[in-house]
Amino acid sequence: MIGVELRKLFRRPRTWVTIAVLNALPVLVAVLVQLTDLAPRPGEGPPFLSAVLTNGALFPLAALAIVLPLFLPIAVAVVAGDAVAGEAQAGTLRYLLVRPAGRTRLLVAKLVAVIAFVLVTVLVVAGVGYVVGTTLFDAQPVGGGTSVSGTSLSQQELAGRSLMAIGYVTVSMLGVAAFGLFFSTLTDSPLAAALGALAVLVTSSLLFTLDAASPIAPYLPTRYWLAFVDLFRDPILWRDVVRGLALQGVYVGVLLAAAWANFTTKDVTS
Amino acid sequence: MAARGRGALARWAAVGLLVAALVALPSVVAALPADDVDVPAAELRAAVLASAGVGFSGYAVSAGGLALPVSERLTDVADLFSDRTLVRVWWRGPEDHRVDVVTAAGETGVHRDPGGTWTWDFEAGTATRGAPASLALPTPPDLLPAALGRRLLSEATDDELSRIGARRVAGRDAVGLRLVPAEPAASVGRVDVWVDPASGLPLQVQVFAEGADLAALDTRFLDLDLAVPPADVVAFTPPPEATLLTAPDTEGLIAQAEERAPDVRLPGELAGLPRRTSAGVPDAVGVYGRGVTLLAAAPVPGRLAGGLREALTASPDAVTDALGTRVAAGPLGLMLVTPPDGPAYVLTGTVTLDALADAARRLPGAAS
Repeated sequence: MIGVELRKLFRRPRTWVTIAVLNALPVLVAVLVQLTDLAPRPGEGPPFLSAVLTNGALFPLAALAIVLPLFLPIAVAVVAGDAVAGEAQAGTLRYLLVRPAGRTRLLVAKLVAVIAFVLVTVLVVAGVGYVVGTTLFDAQPVGGGTSVSGTSLSQQELAGRSLMAIGYVTVSMLGVAAFGLFFSTLTDSPLAAALGALAVLVTSSLLFTLDAASPIAPYLPTRYWLAFVDLFRDPILWRDVVRGLALQGVYVGVLLAAAWANFTTKDVTS
Repeated sequence: MAARGRGALARWAAVGLLVAALVALPSVVAALPADDVDVPAAELRAAVLASAGVGFSGYAVSAGGLALPVSERLTDVADLFSDRTLVRVWWRGPEDHRVDVVTAAGETGVHRDPGGTWTWDFEAGTATRGAPASLALPTPPDLLPAALGRRLLSEATDDELSRIGARRVAGRDAVGLRLVPAEPAASVGRVDVWVDPASGLPLQVQVFAEGADLAALDTRFLDLDLAVPPADVVAFTPPPEATLLTAPDTEGLIAQAEERAPDVRLPGELAGLPRRTSAGVPDAVGVYGRGVTLLAAAPVPGRLAGGLREALTASPDAVTDALGTRVAAGPLGLMLVTPPDGPAYVLTGTVTLDALADAARRLPGAAS
């Protein structure tokens, strides 16, 4: 069933259009920075963008940081919101459920498909970022690069940490995916489910900037998103990375349980 | 249908239980009681003062609520006392440590070695070498709980100290030590220092203004590892692409400022506080008081006084009268004294506004 869902997702043209659109923004930023030679001033702009002028190999990270706050979660919310509600709207959900596989397995298959989408998207953004970064900017020669802490990283270390960052960003999106999937079981409208997940996202981002909300800040789904920068400090600052992973795990667990509780007993009429 | 309804109920009950357990978990962990140790306040203070050589590494947060009325040239200092600053630290000793201020998109690391400091700024790509100075503006290392706790307790007397139970800080049991300054002029109501009893290391320091319930400054460890960190983590070699800079020579600047400062004789006592001598402080600046009750007085050239008056009067809480303009930011008082004849003075310190006014009257040439 997982294979069926994956094939379905990646055969759809709109999946690839979404990924292409996601790549457009970082490429545009790279071209503008290269043409004007104006990197954002220190302390402003997305992480790593100011460092890109001296080392183009860092552009995959800047590209991830550019799409992470808004573009990537929107794409994830749309795909996840479509997962169950899209089938219901198209009138195919009841045919899916006629199969003996059961509703729980369908939910898991849908989640796996969304996770695969996130992973492929993040890998493509990082890959395109690498190609764009090393073509448009000077890539540092054999030496690897400099960590955020000012120590040198070998090429292997830099590659290893970049892979960890890609994994971390993927996991960070799971909370959004789980919200989208849960809302998708509540409604027959994929748009409503995606907007629901986005509403959660906007609320979380807004509360995170509010001092009065600081007591609940550690539990906001977007709280640790930018912690992938901590993977490039030396020594690596694991605290927020570990918390971010655990928090996403909790959200996925709870929302998947709620989606299961709702979906397995829901009357499916379309 | 009924069986299905019961099934749904059971499923939702299971989800509800899971959520309740997860929501309750942080409060349960936070409510774990801390073990108190029966140690007298004076002994605890001695242990704190002896802890400068204790090696550790950790992650600390300092939160300040002080809106300092300073000009744009001192924004770093102002941010330090008004913002939340996250700091990583590796401490091998007073002259061998590394303190990184961690921000969302970069970091600024101060690496101290016996010859001075290297300051690495990731976003600017600069490495700045500075010489050790006896007098300098506050920097993030000064706000570490360990360093701040030692500094604030260094001149406390036994009758100002008391014990205040225990709490958990950074996953450790910390015993409390309260300092209530004895001077009537003091604007600091109390300082609570929470100490790891085994090492003497302060784990949390809270400074409260007189009569305030919320701390004006709260700095604490979030993670702490009591092992001497390896030397290669603390050491720093500027990366090849970094721009190398040299920090301004503080001692030279102070000497220059002293030459330009108006020549005045400051009194031996201000606001009931005796004058003291501090290393690196030029003669033109008078420092008064002891412990957490300190007052500094200095004559300022006219041009500087104009800018300072603008900055002070911009604050809505500023009080202006015949003596000059004064304003308080939490426990910190700042006053520009403008006598009818003679030079202007700046008075600043952890004293009340009344004490500032009293001190202003006693300055040479001041209105009385």
